[in-house]
Amino acid sequence: MYPLIELGPLRLSSGGLLLLSMLVAQWLLVRAARAVGNPTLAEQAARCVYPALLGAAIGARLWYGVFNWSLYRQTPSLFVALRVGEFAWPGALIGGELASALWCRWRRVDLLALADCTALALPPAQALASVGLLLSGEAFGVPTGLPWGIPLFGAMRHPTQLYFALAALLSFGVLRRVARRRPLRGTLTAAYLGLQGVTLLLVEALRADSLLLPASVRAGQVFGLALVLLALLWMRWHTRATPNVDEIPHVTARDGA
Amino acid sequence: MPALSQRQWNVVLVTVLVAGSLFIAATRVPPPSGAHPTAAQTDVLADPAPLPDHPAPDLALSQLDDTPVTLRDLKGQVVLINIWATWCPPCRAEMPAIQQAYAAYRDRGFMILAVNQREDATAITPFLEQHGLTFPILLDRDGQASATYQASALPSSFFIDRRGVIRAVYGGPVPPRMIDGIVEQLLQERP
Repeated sequence: MYPLIELGPLRLSSGGLLLLSMLVAQWLLVRAARAVGNPTLAEQAARCVYPALLGAAIGARLWYGVFNWSLYRQTPSLFVALRVGEFAWPGALIGGELASALWCRWRRVDLLALADCTALALPPAQALASVGLLLSGEAFGVPTGLPWGIPLFGAMRHPTQLYFALAALLSFGVLRRVARRRPLRGTLTAAYLGLQGVTLLLVEALRADSLLLPASVRAGQVFGLALVLLALLWMRWHTRATPNVDEIPHVTARDGA
Repeated sequence: MPALSQRQWNVVLVTVLVAGSLFIAATRVPPPSGAHPTAAQTDVLADPAPLPDHPAPDLALSQLDDTPVTLRDLKGQVVLINIWATWCPPCRAEMPAIQQAYAAYRDRGFMILAVNQREDATAITPFLEQHGLTFPILLDRDGQASATYQASALPSSFFIDRRGVIRAVYGGPVPPRMIDGIVEQLLQERP
């Protein structure tokens, strides 16, 4: 694997695909917000992208740095270094959500409505970013004898990056189906987090470069289980206290977002 | 939305928590075969990869005088793999610091493998003479070693401990104090 792919005059690297995936996410987010039929929400979505991305970058680097503490402690400047490979998705998700929540509170924006739109915007971008991981050989899998193994670092390995991409596309399909049923506010967010959780729980198990907690437990899986439980808790809470459906804006997938 | 009672939801939550935890425990990272824990050392992942805490992928290249060198043969020593080229200004800039570290720590078991990317002796030799560089220069004529180490930036540096495990990776020049600090730390560790 070499971290470049040539498409005619374009040379795409894993970093380039990450950047492209961010642009795709922004475009899909605004599109999803517009599909709700609320132009103000679309404007707010377009503005929320920047603090969300900043929060995601900070969270992703902090997560990676904390799990590589022996190295980052020696050189704290690594926390702000331009090293695309040293971001971690769980941290990005937490940081992005936190920054968005703070921004929404500050600007008095409906966080859940925006989060529901984000749930429809992120999976395709994640699929693209996963292809970037494949190009750079990051998030690589454990050796396998299965026929779809890919050669990397001297062994045939699980194409975990493609599993992540496939899971993101499947999640996108599920979320679009849910969106068509005009769900209650927050349902898409909960479904997205639940699907992310299942993905992390399953695919991380096949990664050879997981960030580890004590006792060699994979941090991504613990985070994934927490997301699944969070989604279930939301569902439990929802069955107990159903809000007034008619007052709530809905996200639909009618316009293809 | 499934119509479950709160009690049923609690059962679902506990079941998922227990099943998930068991799955996580069952798919923990297995310890690398043959590895034995030593003080002040981090967990080592089993698969060779150009990343911290992984065993370093092996290198088998020739020096300028055609002497073959493999990384495997250097086990027991602290190794800095530096991937570079003479046309790369930051690579040239960090070479004096690397030479100084080589001179200071060579006798204590520190080795440098400066892997030159896709150049030949006519470009390299005058540069070595000009800067008085004495550590081994390996020729990566087809760029295969650079690809194995995913050196998308030049220079790229990989600090490898006595066990053959990568402990630090740098894309771009490494500050001289960092080189000394890391090498000192790794030399103090026993395999």
